[in-house]
Amino acid sequence: MIENFINMNGYGLFVWLSFAVTVTACTFVYYKTYKTLKKYEKDFAKELQKLSGQQRKLVLEKSKVATQVLASYNKSI
Amino acid sequence: MFDLINPSKIFYLIEKLINFINSIFFIFLLVALSFALILSPPDYLQGDSVRIMYVHVPSAWIGLASFSVISFLSIINFIFKIKNLNLITKSIAPIGLLFTCLAIVTGSLWGQPTWGTWWAWDARITSMLVLTIFYLLFIFAHKLIPQEDKANKVSSIIAIVGLINIPVIKYSVDWWNTLHQPASIKLTGSSTIHSSMLVPLLLMLLVLLLYCALIFLMKYKTEIIRIKKKNIKRL
Repeated sequence: MIENFINMNGYGLFVWLSFAVTVTACTFVYYKTYKTLKKYEKDFAKELQKLSGQQRKLVLEKSKVATQVLASYNKSI
Repeated sequence: MFDLINPSKIFYLIEKLINFINSIFFIFLLVALSFALILSPPDYLQGDSVRIMYVHVPSAWIGLASFSVISFLSIINFIFKIKNLNLITKSIAPIGLLFTCLAIVTGSLWGQPTWGTWWAWDARITSMLVLTIFYLLFIFAHKLIPQEDKANKVSSIIAIVGLINIPVIKYSVDWWNTLHQPASIKLTGSSTIHSSMLVPLLLMLLVLLLYCALIFLMKYKTEIIRIKKKNIKRL
């Protein structure tokens, strides 16, 4: 039964290759997108660190995005 | 209305949506793959090779739909000049390119056992290849043009010109003699596909749409952070 499932009546190579190509490509794009997002979060946090204490406080008070990016970055380290 | 897509307002929501999709994605994936590879019956003519349809057809639909959305948003952007729409189109384009390429590759893998050839210069396949070129032009316009305003303008023009290709892809099977069969699933009128095959097809479409939403949200979030980082001192 398992042999039949893998062989797919002679079409196994084409069927499995189609699904494998799709899964591999999707996984690769997911991984690359995730890595880029984390890199940008890290760079943003670094830029924030470069600001003076008062400037940083002001940015974090004014920008919800900055607060959330910093929180997300701190969670991931 | 356009305030609803203000990045600062929806940033928190993006994070929540990413977490939600991540939590349900694998359950849907398992169910859809079980239907596509095990529970659905083989076709009476094509046998088990018909299972390639469950990745090929949704990929082609997503490739086409993504470009249509990009073109539509580019037209809106030309009229109303909403900068945020550029971030959205820029985030959709790689997803569209991925699925157009997947439609071509899986189509080739389906073509060999069904038609006896990996590739044919048939109207549908050629117009899909043209769509890939439009996606590449759109993405490279953003990558290669350093001035952001100019890059946005050029990519919008590419998207609007590329819109001509969408009805060509859709109706290529009716306008020319091609290897592809006419559409089996219609939004208007009755579909000619049996429910035992329609269910796995729609489930796979749902899973791939969830994946697209996940990638789009991550890319959109990256774009927002990039813009905020550029203007960090003006925040």
